[in-house]
Amino acid sequence: MSAEAPTTMETETVASESKLESNSLPPKPKFEPLKAHEMSDGRVQFRKVSVPPHRYSPLKKYWMDIYTPIYEQMKIDIRMNLKARKVELKTRLDTPDISNLQKCADFVQAFMLGFDVADAIALLRLDELYVESFEIKDVKTLRGEHLSRAIGRLSGKGGKTKFAIENATKTRIVIADSKIHILGSFANIKIARDSLCSLILGSPAGKVYSKLRQVSARLAERF
Amino acid sequence: MVTPVEAAVESLRQISTEPPVWLVPKQELSQAVRAASKLLFASLKPHCTKSPFDELLIEGFDAEQIWQQIDLQSQPLLSSLRREVKKFEKHPEEISKLKVDVEGGKKKVLEEIETENVVVNDDDDEDDDIDMDEEDEDEEEEGEEKEKGREEESENEGEEKGGIEDKFLKIKELQEYLEEDEAREFGTNKKKRKAETKKHEEDTEDEEEEGDDEENEDDTDEAEEEEEDELGLFGGDDESDEDDLGNARYEDFFSRKKSKDSEDKAKYRDMLEEDSGSDDEHVDKKVKNQRKDGLSKHEKELDELRSKIEQMEKANLDPKVWTMRGEVTAAQRQKNSALEVDLDFEHNVRPAPVITEEVTASLEDLIKTRISEGLFDDVQKAPTLSSKAPREVKELDDNKSKKGLAEIYEEEFVQKTDPASAPLTFSDELKKEASMLFKKLCLKLDALSHFHFTPKPVVEDMSIQTNVPALAMEEIAPMAVSDAAMLAPEEVFSGKGDIKEEAEMTKADRKKRRANKKRKFKAKAAKRPRANTSVRNSDEGSKV
Repeated sequence: MSAEAPTTMETETVASESKLESNSLPPKPKFEPLKAHEMSDGRVQFRKVSVPPHRYSPLKKYWMDIYTPIYEQMKIDIRMNLKARKVELKTRLDTPDISNLQKCADFVQAFMLGFDVADAIALLRLDELYVESFEIKDVKTLRGEHLSRAIGRLSGKGGKTKFAIENATKTRIVIADSKIHILGSFANIKIARDSLCSLILGSPAGKVYSKLRQVSARLAERF
Repeated sequence: MVTPVEAAVESLRQISTEPPVWLVPKQELSQAVRAASKLLFASLKPHCTKSPFDELLIEGFDAEQIWQQIDLQSQPLLSSLRREVKKFEKHPEEISKLKVDVEGGKKKVLEEIETENVVVNDDDDEDDDIDMDEEDEDEEEEGEEKEKGREEESENEGEEKGGIEDKFLKIKELQEYLEEDEAREFGTNKKKRKAETKKHEEDTEDEEEEGDDEENEDDTDEAEEEEEDELGLFGGDDESDEDDLGNARYEDFFSRKKSKDSEDKAKYRDMLEEDSGSDDEHVDKKVKNQRKDGLSKHEKELDELRSKIEQMEKANLDPKVWTMRGEVTAAQRQKNSALEVDLDFEHNVRPAPVITEEVTASLEDLIKTRISEGLFDDVQKAPTLSSKAPREVKELDDNKSKKGLAEIYEEEFVQKTDPASAPLTFSDELKKEASMLFKKLCLKLDALSHFHFTPKPVVEDMSIQTNVPALAMEEIAPMAVSDAAMLAPEEVFSGKGDIKEEAEMTKADRKKRRANKKRKFKAKAAKRPRANTSVRNSDEGSKV
């Protein structure tokens, strides 16, 4: 197929060249955008997302919630490779956009990191959402009890600090041991990250709250 | 004939019997004295060529000015007198000539005095007085009196120069006689001086002079004192005279080895004259103070005075004390010397209030009244103008959000694109709730007040109807309550199908009922842990 394209082009150009002599320029050729399938020389594109062991059973539980939007709306083939413990995604013939595959892969990846399906679905629907991950040791080197305390500070009592940050910045946060994942738009991720970093560095929750309040008020004013 | 001088003196004598009278100024006294001084001035006029005044100006001038006029006349007079004295010193033979004349004049005068009628008594008195003088009186005193008398007369005369001398009275003779007397009393030195002074007054001497003298001498000591006082008033000439006598010392007049009688008498006179209260500065007075002690009291005083004067002069010569020097810096005065001096400077600070009982009482009263009134000076916050509407403070929700992230972004997107169809935000819901509550409250209040009839607002909600008497709902203030209930019986009934009472039940029904029960129970028991079931079963079995 790829070989055909240039040939057709050539023939057309030749034809157009022949016309040149007689009249004005020939009309520009119109090409349909390439389908996902046609890309990379018509070969099928794959994505494989490995499943961590602690997400295995939630995956089983929410499989249908994951499968349905991917297959129905994104038009991407999805399957679970039990042996390899991976989720595999593949483009179909009628996949409209090549970015769908990537979005689905991100969506599945987000689920694997620990986000809820309802939150991860936003990745499918909105373009500008990203997931940022960092570790506590990137911010400050903490050992033993200090690390545990830092994690506790981040979450707060019953997770209220985390929820407060989530609600204020319209993001979703997953704290997995010493790894932190933030899902949201670019600016919101930044704000959430700043709050989390200040918490790691030791500022009390009240201080973080007050700052969040200011920031969220400013954000709300914009609209 | 009465000369102004005589009249003046007469009036003076009449008025002033005691020196204290002179302490209070009196109009007539001063006038008489002024007139007398004017005459004296006029009498001296011919002697001094340089004086600018033709006569002593009295009207409208005060004592100081009159003094000045007299002084102005007498100063050149004094200098001329001194010249004369010096001349006589150089040429003593002239004095003797003078003396002879004077004596002759005096004798003549004496004769004339005896024969005259007008001043017979006075003359006699004068004789007596003269005799007295010779014997009893204080020598200098007499002489001075005479001198003063003469001065007076010479000043007063003025107009009657020409008519003074006549065949009986020769002034020269009088002068000589007096000089002789004095020479006997004091010694030859004095004679010269007196002669000179007498010489000047020779021309102007008068019967009146004599009369005055006599009068003076007639009088008691007090009168003499008066005259001295008078002379004190007239003053100018006296002082000029004093300058001549200023060099006189106690020793000149009195040597210690005098006869007791004369001394006693002199003492007596002294005492009397001391009481007159004369000016200490007068040389006459000085000499009168006489004591038997080696150093007289007066001399002691004089010594003290002298020492004081020396001290003062020395102090004046020394550099001034720093307090008197004007602007003085610390370097120019001694250390800590400013502490000893009572400095006076302005205090710009109000002095601290002295706390007395009254002050505290007043303060406490004020406090009490303020408390009772409740009138405190509290600082009141200035009311801030709220220009902006209060911003919606978004409260941080620290619960897990029920919406998924996708939904949140969806809502946001919808709000941006189409605000109308956007679902209500949390704050809007709150507002709605609040408005609903308020409406209900208003309805209730209106109903209570019965003023306006407002029908209940139509709220299309699914509300639960409570089984309450109908009238209670319809009438707000029900006067009567009806038995009719809101709900129909079938609505009230909560159950299914046919309900039979215990009595109505047939056996089959009862069995059926029991079977149902068992079934239900079994179903329940299956869910529960099995440990309890055996116990239950036994219970159930026993029941039937």
